[in-house]
Amino acid sequence: MHITPEVLFEARRHFLKLGAGALVSTTALSKLLASMPEEIQLSFTKDANPLKLTPNTFEQASNYVNFYEFSTDKTAPVKMAQSMKTKPWNVGFFGEIKTEQMLEVDELIAKFGLEERIYRFRCVEGWSMVVPWIGFPLYKLLDYLEPNTKAKYVKFTTRHEPAMFPDQQRGLFASIKHPYVEGLRMDEARHPLTFLAVGMYGKPLPKQNGAPMRLVVPWKYGFKSIKSIDLIECVEEEPKNTWQVMDSKEYGFYANVNPNVDHPRWSQAKERVLGKLSKQETLMFNGYEKEVGHLYVGMDLRKFF
Amino acid sequence: MKTLISLIALLPLGYAYYALESAIDPIKMLYTITGVGAICLLILSLIPSTCKRVCGQNFLRYRKTIGLLSFAYALLHVSVFIVLDSELDFLSIVEKSLKKPFIYVGVIAFAIVLFMALTSTKKRFARFSKYHKAVYIALILALLHSFWAQKVAGVFEYGVVAMSVILLGERIFHLKNNLLYNAP
Repeated sequence: MHITPEVLFEARRHFLKLGAGALVSTTALSKLLASMPEEIQLSFTKDANPLKLTPNTFEQASNYVNFYEFSTDKTAPVKMAQSMKTKPWNVGFFGEIKTEQMLEVDELIAKFGLEERIYRFRCVEGWSMVVPWIGFPLYKLLDYLEPNTKAKYVKFTTRHEPAMFPDQQRGLFASIKHPYVEGLRMDEARHPLTFLAVGMYGKPLPKQNGAPMRLVVPWKYGFKSIKSIDLIECVEEEPKNTWQVMDSKEYGFYANVNPNVDHPRWSQAKERVLGKLSKQETLMFNGYEKEVGHLYVGMDLRKFF
Repeated sequence: MKTLISLIALLPLGYAYYALESAIDPIKMLYTITGVGAICLLILSLIPSTCKRVCGQNFLRYRKTIGLLSFAYALLHVSVFIVLDSELDFLSIVEKSLKKPFIYVGVIAFAIVLFMALTSTKKRFARFSKYHKAVYIALILALLHSFWAQKVAGVFEYGVVAMSVILLGERIFHLKNNLLYNAP
């Protein structure tokens, strides 16, 4: 028996609706086109949610974002990002790997499949949420790319396209240094929790959440989880990540969630869960100590913050 | 007129109350509305005396009302810090206030406006008005506090700094002229 995958089924329905829309008017057509990415449902393996986390609502997770390529405001990027063109989107894979290449995001999805990961997400600013991401673990991609022995770190870069990202046009007046760069040590990158997300809440990533593909490292502060990835490089030297370059006294390379090491300006002991007036204790490595604690044995976490 | 000013100035609080239930980051929203309110009103309270010197209009009678409104916002801001953010954990409040420049700069600014509010009655004002010049220190500290409140400063932070530079600049200019004029 042949079963049409859900995503194709949805796409076909859209196509039919588009045809019908074309008969009515072009404005109706463009409206349907605009609503298309939100309505497509992805097919993926569901997360059993062993930690029994309660996800925040889609509205909360998609209306409260840090996307400095658009604005330093949390809600402004929601509207501004809708002009992003995220399809097709080629990602470049370079550096110390077997074959340097470019792949379209849909090709990556076809290669590695999709699964759901319900993760805690903790921002360095002191707020947190729980998000059901859809994507694939980074190690699957790394296995495919075959990094060589010189590859000690993985460096990620956000797309630099000033026509798409207004803050990248501002030169000296930009809010941060562009393009945004993040990095992971190879063992962190290969950790089964480290994830490349192309969707959340069963749907493709909303543009403001870093479409079409972003990193999610649940035991690190949110700024490590770089958005709208353009380049993934395997490198020998520790990459200088953007916030470390901005202010190395306040932000480090590791940025592991740690309630015992304060940000110079504020305490990290507690967090504000989105949608709640009360606070909760922040957990060591954001509650993933059992899984990732061994990566940092013997390291002074006050020095390598 | 003073009632009208107060009503308009307190409107954002009505909005905050209304928006609280659906707010995504409610504590942060309350911090922002009360903090922005306190700074804007503090700057507004400096305008009457500038106005008198520059355009000859006397609005000085509204200065106290605006100042007290700014204090009301600052008091709410501090309440958010103590009740909601620190959840009445006084040990951590003291620790944060001593250790974090971001916090103690805000605490000092609040102490100054608190002092000004307490000495704003007619009788006390006559005695303490000379110390009310400390409002300039409070303003500068409050601006620093707002710059430190986020990862990087945005339009609001630079906007209020620009306003403050103009208002404080005018005062320095005026003071200098006075000194020259009164020189023997």
